[in-house]
Amino acid sequence: MNQDIVIGRGVSASTRGNPLRALVEPRVYLSLAAILLLLAIPVGVDSAFVYHVFVTICLYGALATAWNIVGGYAGQLSLGHATFYGIGGYTSVLLLDHYQISPWVSMWIGAALAAAVGVAISYPCLRLRGPFFALGSIAFLEVFRLLVTHESDLTGGASGLIVPLKIGWKWMIFREKYPYLLIAFGFLSVTLLVSLAIRKSRFGYHLVAVREREDAAMAAGINTVKVKLLAVLISAALTAMVGSFHAMYTTFIDPPTMFSLEFSVQIAMFALIGGLGTFAGPLAGTLLVVPITELARGWLGGAAGGLHGFVYGAVLLLIVLMLPAGIVGRFGGALARLVSRLPGARPTEDPEVTAELTPVVTAAAAGQPVLVAKNIVKRFGGLAATDNVSLELRKGEILGLIGPNGAGKTTVFNLLSGFLTPDSGTVEVVNESGQTVSPKAPHGFAHAGIGRTFQIVKPFGKLTVLENIMIGALHKCRTISEARCKALRVARHVRLYDDRHTIASNLTVSGLKRLEVARILAMEPQILLLDEVMAGQNQTDVNLAVEMIRNIRDKGVSVIAIEHNMHAIMKVSDRVVVFNSGRVIAEGAPEDVVQDPAVIEAYLGEEYMHAQAI
Amino acid sequence: MDVFLQIVVNGLLLGGMYVLVSVGLTLIFGVIRVANFAHGELLMVGMYAVYLLSKYLGLHPYVAAGPVVIFLFIIGVAIQRFIMQPLMNADPEIQIFATVGLSTALMNLALLVFGADMVSVQATGLRERFHIGSVRLIYANMVMFLTAVTLVVGLDLFLTRTYMGRAIRATSQNRLAAPLMGINVKKVYVLTFGIGAGCVGLAAALVAPTYPVFPTIGTYFVLTAFVIVVLGGMGSLYGAFAGSMIIGLIDSLSGFYIAPDLREVVYFLIFIIILIVRPTGLFGLGRGSE
Repeated sequence: MNQDIVIGRGVSASTRGNPLRALVEPRVYLSLAAILLLLAIPVGVDSAFVYHVFVTICLYGALATAWNIVGGYAGQLSLGHATFYGIGGYTSVLLLDHYQISPWVSMWIGAALAAAVGVAISYPCLRLRGPFFALGSIAFLEVFRLLVTHESDLTGGASGLIVPLKIGWKWMIFREKYPYLLIAFGFLSVTLLVSLAIRKSRFGYHLVAVREREDAAMAAGINTVKVKLLAVLISAALTAMVGSFHAMYTTFIDPPTMFSLEFSVQIAMFALIGGLGTFAGPLAGTLLVVPITELARGWLGGAAGGLHGFVYGAVLLLIVLMLPAGIVGRFGGALARLVSRLPGARPTEDPEVTAELTPVVTAAAAGQPVLVAKNIVKRFGGLAATDNVSLELRKGEILGLIGPNGAGKTTVFNLLSGFLTPDSGTVEVVNESGQTVSPKAPHGFAHAGIGRTFQIVKPFGKLTVLENIMIGALHKCRTISEARCKALRVARHVRLYDDRHTIASNLTVSGLKRLEVARILAMEPQILLLDEVMAGQNQTDVNLAVEMIRNIRDKGVSVIAIEHNMHAIMKVSDRVVVFNSGRVIAEGAPEDVVQDPAVIEAYLGEEYMHAQAI
Repeated sequence: MDVFLQIVVNGLLLGGMYVLVSVGLTLIFGVIRVANFAHGELLMVGMYAVYLLSKYLGLHPYVAAGPVVIFLFIIGVAIQRFIMQPLMNADPEIQIFATVGLSTALMNLALLVFGADMVSVQATGLRERFHIGSVRLIYANMVMFLTAVTLVVGLDLFLTRTYMGRAIRATSQNRLAAPLMGINVKKVYVLTFGIGAGCVGLAAALVAPTYPVFPTIGTYFVLTAFVIVVLGGMGSLYGAFAGSMIIGLIDSLSGFYIAPDLREVVYFLIFIIILIVRPTGLFGLGRGSE
């Protein structure tokens, strides 16, 4: 049975193309039944207190699920999400107050405003890691809170705003409790659907890749900044809409409650307790913690001031120490296996595939330059790591790049793939349609058809081999199933098909190197930059790697390979470029370069010459 | 001119108080690389301890500093050993959540035990004013400033002249190489957290005469402390001192010249700029060291 551990189960073959058939699957019908309980129980019990608890569960569940899109899927820990919630609340109340605009309309305005603010404040902070991003988000929250308090003419300041009491569906204010529950349930359903749609989409895979290893995601052609900003946009909009509704529900807003740090932390907490980055986690966390605390508050009343907060904090600590993956993270797999034994489950099979790689067809003729670097220079402080280097790669050739350690070979690769920008000089690529482009940034180079591997492998360690390759395949494939087929084919080609469901971090060194190549091959590049793919491998694997590189070239890909294994590089290269101290010191056919005295002195050594009996 | 001088002096003395609160945080953040969101709650716990000692044993707050420092040291050691150490290799997000959970739990525990009412420590003349020229100063603030200077100098001597201090600095610079040199990293971390918490204990004892004590008082200080720590550079004592003086001056100046309720806006905006432009701070080691 297929189990994609991180990204989620693949669609079973029989339901593809017919979503209604999915209702028969136990996973689906059980989840639907469980969610509907959130409506059924309070309506059944019909007590105002129970209604309130379930409205709270629905709303907090919605907020936590929306937060999870940024904090879990994208991996950016935002502890200031109440900024968006507050924007939504204040926008709705102010528009209602001054212009009698219905909250159903103003919530969209609030959402748009929050999305814009979210993008504006996240963009500069995206480079910040871990605690720094969290601190940045808190700082923005505080600034908003203080400014809203200060501008009391506009916002009512510290004394807050009372929501004008107009009753009815148009105004989202009711005398009975059940309409509130319906709306809250509606918000929960919407956020869950959005979260699920993201998870199962190409965007979802991109988010996981960016979260797990941002530079490898860039090499796979993903525009990491755009992906993160899109996640913030969606999350902010959803959070603001819930804020609009919640303002109507509580009928009073003020800066400390709407822009509350404690509240921001709570919604993040529920997502963690349930399982950061999982789909069902945020709701599960809410379901665990909120009823306990609301009940405690109800029973103990005022005497328990602080009890619910203490429970939140204590539960969080326990989960962090004992179940860091959260409830769903830890038990979700086992539960899914149990559920799949119920009637209606269909096993999912991988389609059978051959090991044939798709030929790469480009407009360039054989022998034409496809990648041209002219006089590129890169300095780090006073050191010129790349000193006036010019080289070109011709269509259909295998170019070997050799030189001593520290000569600047990987730096050149970084310059040829967008990971570094030259201080002067140009890098031009002839893309698949024959146009000459000067790309910027790794994803730009990837779009021009360049794929590169890393000298120290950068797998997505927590994903399976198949999922790793799929991230590359999604560069050209638009749907998940297409990407899966291509990934399976590439996996066969690099001899990783049998390991396709192994978690990447469990592979051997040889497997990891092949996975690195596989992920890039799945992108169908026209130019491949291989950084020491043969390093640390035994002779058999080296021979297989040489054969693999030849096969790749025969399919129409032009290759540059950095290697220290002289035997291999001489066998496989059409031309060789030799580097030393950031400069090109020789260039030409392998047999000629090897006899160049400068090359012998800098790199090969006299013994090599004698050993080759040249 | 007199007004300006008064504001500057107020700012510097305020900075002295901030030094006491943020020195511990910069040590913990800089060495253990953990953003201790529970730092404010440690201050709150210290202040309640001072309150209890002064109310039930009649101790002067400055005298209570001794036992409170030791008490907070032990708490810091316990936090590192039982909460942070098991999470040493976990994702940074998980570590952040641990300190956040601790912060929430402590704050609400205080709320449960002591209630939300404010209590005060007897001032015993520490809130009296004295004059130097035309400038008015409060005794307690002067004491805080002088203690801050002493603390920073003392800690610096410890970090540069003793073996343990060097071990701490080595660990903060390279966590993987330090044990290869025979440094017991776990012990270093435990000690550092303890020292950091102890500093907060000292801060609590000195701050208590001038601030009321209530469960959420920590939240007033912790964000400012983080601003200072990032501004000055994580792990840098002199950075924390300089950052505190800068923030204290900004607080005081913007409170008077812009608007009292916009003081924090000014330094949060500065914080955001620093985070974006130079997250390693003024005295930090440059990009990549964070």
